[in-house]
Amino acid sequence: MTKSADTHCPYCALQCAMTLKSPAALTPAEQPGSDPVTALPVLEAPSLEVSGRDFPTNRGGLCRKGWTSASLLTHPGRVTEPLLKGSDGVHRPIGWDEALKLITSAVKETQARYGADAVGVFGGGGLTNEKAYMLGKFARLALRTSRIDYNGRFCMSSAAAAGMRAFGVDRGLPFPLEDLDGASTILMLGSNVAETMPPFVQHLQGARDAGGFIVVDPRRSATAAFTSDGGGLHLQPLPGTDLTLLLGLSHAVIHEGLVDNDYIRTRTSGYDALVRSVNAFWPERVQSLTGVPAELIRETARRLADGARKGGSYILTGRGVEQHVDGTDTATAAINLSLLLGLPGSTRSGYGTLTGQGNGQGGREHGQKADQLPGYRKITDPAARAHVAGVWGVPEFLIPGPGLPAVQLLKSLGKPDGVRCLIVHASNIAVASPDAGAVIEGIRSLDFMVVCDFFMSETAAEADLVLPVLQWAEEEGTLTNLEGRVLRRRRALQPPEGARSELWIMARLAEALDAPSTYSEDPETVFEELRLASAGGLADYSGIDYAMLDRGEAAYWPYPAGSTGTPRLFLEAFAHADGKAVMTPVTPRRRRTPAVNPDPDAKTMTLITGRLLEHYQSGAQTRRVSELMASQPEAKMQIHPAAASAMGITDGAFVSVANERGEVVCRAELSTAIRPETVFLPFHFPELESANRLTEAATDPISGMPEFKFNKVWVQLAKNVLQTSVLQTTEAS
Amino acid sequence: MSERIVVVGFGPVAARLIDELLPAVRSGLAHVTVVGEEDDAAYNRVMVADLGVGRTTASALALADAAALIAEGVDVRLGTRVRRVDRARQQVVLTDGTSPGYDRLVFATGSRPVIPNLTGLNPDPSAPVLPTGVTALRDLRDAKVLLEAVSGGKRVVVLGGGVLGLETALAAAEEGATVTVVHNGTHPLGRNIDRGGGAVLAAGLRSCGVRVAANARSTGIEHNGPDGAFSALLLDDGSAIDGDLLVLSCGVRPRTELAKGCGLSTGVGILVDHKLRAHHEQHIFAIGDCAEVRCPDSSCVECRHAGGPSGLIGPGWRQAEWLAEYLTLLAEDSAEGILPDGVSADLRDTGSHLLANALPELPAEKPGVVILKARGLNMAVAGDNSAEPWDEEVLTSGAVTGRPRRQIAQWADPEHGRYVKMTTRGGVLEGLVSVGMPRTAAELVQLFERGDELPADRSLLLRLDGPDQLAAAANNDPARTVCRCAGVSGTKIQDAVEHGCSTVAEVSGATRAGTGCGGCHSDIKEIIEKHFQAAAAA
Repeated sequence: MTKSADTHCPYCALQCAMTLKSPAALTPAEQPGSDPVTALPVLEAPSLEVSGRDFPTNRGGLCRKGWTSASLLTHPGRVTEPLLKGSDGVHRPIGWDEALKLITSAVKETQARYGADAVGVFGGGGLTNEKAYMLGKFARLALRTSRIDYNGRFCMSSAAAAGMRAFGVDRGLPFPLEDLDGASTILMLGSNVAETMPPFVQHLQGARDAGGFIVVDPRRSATAAFTSDGGGLHLQPLPGTDLTLLLGLSHAVIHEGLVDNDYIRTRTSGYDALVRSVNAFWPERVQSLTGVPAELIRETARRLADGARKGGSYILTGRGVEQHVDGTDTATAAINLSLLLGLPGSTRSGYGTLTGQGNGQGGREHGQKADQLPGYRKITDPAARAHVAGVWGVPEFLIPGPGLPAVQLLKSLGKPDGVRCLIVHASNIAVASPDAGAVIEGIRSLDFMVVCDFFMSETAAEADLVLPVLQWAEEEGTLTNLEGRVLRRRRALQPPEGARSELWIMARLAEALDAPSTYSEDPETVFEELRLASAGGLADYSGIDYAMLDRGEAAYWPYPAGSTGTPRLFLEAFAHADGKAVMTPVTPRRRRTPAVNPDPDAKTMTLITGRLLEHYQSGAQTRRVSELMASQPEAKMQIHPAAASAMGITDGAFVSVANERGEVVCRAELSTAIRPETVFLPFHFPELESANRLTEAATDPISGMPEFKFNKVWVQLAKNVLQTSVLQTTEAS
Repeated sequence: MSERIVVVGFGPVAARLIDELLPAVRSGLAHVTVVGEEDDAAYNRVMVADLGVGRTTASALALADAAALIAEGVDVRLGTRVRRVDRARQQVVLTDGTSPGYDRLVFATGSRPVIPNLTGLNPDPSAPVLPTGVTALRDLRDAKVLLEAVSGGKRVVVLGGGVLGLETALAAAEEGATVTVVHNGTHPLGRNIDRGGGAVLAAGLRSCGVRVAANARSTGIEHNGPDGAFSALLLDDGSAIDGDLLVLSCGVRPRTELAKGCGLSTGVGILVDHKLRAHHEQHIFAIGDCAEVRCPDSSCVECRHAGGPSGLIGPGWRQAEWLAEYLTLLAEDSAEGILPDGVSADLRDTGSHLLANALPELPAEKPGVVILKARGLNMAVAGDNSAEPWDEEVLTSGAVTGRPRRQIAQWADPEHGRYVKMTTRGGVLEGLVSVGMPRTAAELVQLFERGDELPADRSLLLRLDGPDQLAAAANNDPARTVCRCAGVSGTKIQDAVEHGCSTVAEVSGATRAGTGCGGCHSDIKEIIEKHFQAAAAA
């Protein structure tokens, strides 16, 4: 058993560095309990000791999720054997041989009856680079299906499409996170880092000290609260108006004479058309569309320009502005604003998007996207297909064409010409997908579903077959963090007997399906193949190997063999043929008229969704950590007291939040941090508290991103629910 | 065969219409011709005053690019006027000698400035030649005239207390000109704002360096400047206001003469129904400043309360977007060979109707919102603000058969340039005035446009502009969460300190507090210091 391992946190894309120590390695003095201050919570069972490790991104810091992550390793609910659902709906253990045989025959039967594309694969942004790469290869060569996509479609696809369009390449932050430290102005749109990745906040201190931290969020989130006391500005637009606000900011930059003209001339194209497109959005008009005072719009523009001349200015976007049916255009508008100010491609200014999932960056580069091959290559590009086919040692025609993006893939479940047999990795689609009620119906109409997970997630509970896989502390591999830096994940302890790596599972299945090419179960061997497959692509990893990562070298892609990597992109040129960044004019589209509220007792309001500090994504992991659950045990709908009092809603009362797609029943939490016409729900909770029962599966025409952040709901006091008084513990004790 | 659409006028509203029609042009469904009198394609008239004071450039005002449109297949005729419309032949006769035919004709002729009846000015609207030193500030040339005056530090007299006049005055004053606003009535913006708001607004104008001459009736102009240029505005009390440039800002009037000339019905503007069609003429439409939505049905309730054209750009753009969709659907229908009566020959029995008929009509516009576009002076006004809090008669009028009475909530602090008035019925705004309170104004305008109910405690809206809004509420509860990242309470930290931790690092080691974002380090320090001070004192 490994005594101590330097690795990174299992959760978000900040990938905080941590050290895992097994209790056996602790000296007696370090044993928990020997210190009089035993403030550390008692974990479920003796497990690994987690400590923060100094690293440029987290500087030794961890959040509550990271600190408690090890408790999941010994969680009693861990799945440790393959489980088959019986006709009575109960899952019972079976052996691995039988499990693999069942999958093989399900795949073969489905494909014999309905064709190769009737088998689908759904991946996740939490998979290591090795697994994400292998999943794309396995789907296309072993399953011969084009139907593969992943939950990153719900996460980074809009910003990725916008980055590709503007810069020719998409790397979340095209600069090291530490660059933010010296900035005078940081404009952060739709991101609540104080809850989603708390150690990130350290890098905002410089801008806060300079009074230049500007947050755009309909809520006074924990992050927005950092703008108080002279830290900066908080712009609180109506939900769904981010694009208009950004056009107003661009208008102000142009008309206040703040454009970096030399930069526009030498480093961009499309300026004139951009100016025409924003001319209809002067600040006063934007004020009447967004609710943000015109003067704040001008002030923001001035501070951005001022910051660019001083310590530097950065514009950062998050899911709040990207998870919309116009998410790509909104991210594009943010990029256009940054280009007008001359920010991208400088050593002390820039634009970036904050990747969410642990390997949300690497996971979107190596082929688990429906339209993509490793190295961020397009699956429709003949040269890309030829290169990858060469690495895989197969004829090019064996690689299927583009498949369906996630929302369309999920809509096709069980439908004629749709997917009949689905394999799910690292994703809890029953909770995390838009219009989750419809997705669950789709799942139930499948002929066969396999879910690889280490817990009985809500999706696993629906599966015909559940395969137990490894947790982060039990495996080797690499992840690529939000900066595009490749990191090593290292094993600290042996997995439970019966659990297997996805790489092992894919290798066995490929063998059983007589697949061409090779499928190693050793992460380093797979990484060596990934290096070759990515060589020459946009996300080129060919110069990176395990040895250099183990020496602690900072490896930012693109890292072609023989180079030293690329901490900062675009310093010389952008990745388009002419070296220029492209400004694409965008304007808001009219929205579909929402369904009419059928219940006269309910008030129509706008629903926005987001995360809590204590939980991660669908909550499949964090809802199993007792310390986190004690703190945030249930979904609560945040509502402004003024709106609540008009409906007779008191703090802690049960409310019904419904629309034409479904209903959520949960407690209300009164807060002046939210706008009066808007309510907020966290999306970590299942069943009756599942926010995604209400979100719409309409998608962005470019990225395929669904509409998570702007949905109409009908709110009222819940009927038929016993309105009990609230007994809450605010503190885990 | 594609549908021929001719657009008369190339201002901002026409530009929007053409942009929205581009997909139909690209697909060959429609052929679009646009005729513009000026040599430039559409630009943003709203920003002409900014151009006139040198804050922005002409190229930064453009809303359309003729070359790009031509490349898309649009027939763009600049510097050309329509002589007349031949409705019998369905063609327009142009000054360039051609006569393009149309299947659909759209009037987007806009409006022209009102030239007041003053001695020394020719009031004929069809011959708008103004003497040197007088401008109506409508187009790019006018902006140039103003720019010369402002950059020369000249004296500018603005005649008219409307929103455009005030914006011009404020911008010119800020850029260094000496500016006097001359208006009739007791306060500027007399048509929109109430007396209290008007008084605070006037004080705000003065503090921004604009001179205001109220209750002034102008009678004529004097031209004793160089080359007979404008030198003074004469008032009916015999006084005169000296200046180098007179900016006329007395409102606009729809340009309807072309429509009148071809026999269309006009009121203030070209009369159109709820589908923006001219009365009794299915092929002709009007949008923007020149259009007056008032349908031929005399019993239509909506039209009974309709005002004339608003002169605001927002409604015009909404009309352009709607009409583009409607015209595209009409073009699709005729491409499908569906008969104009709404039923195709072979679909007659199934009762299938035109795609275009299924498009819901454009909803009626709410009364316009006026937001002063100026730096240093914030003002928004909308709806009817005539009632005062104690006007019992006015407030109860119209409150019949269960309709609630009007309510007024008001906040006046003239000393600090702040004034808010909310006129509501059933909690929903019918009128609003906000001066000097930007966040409140932004919120009220939102509530007005959405028709949402105001919070019962109206002071909530006033507090948006209070300094307390930004400060986090002080919390001295010892059990409060001090470190959010690791979820550690003050009690726990206190405990650790009492057990011997005397630095932030030690507290972090023992409790995890301060190990995330580090934002609570000062709070931890405070707890440590408090503990040791208390210990020392004891």
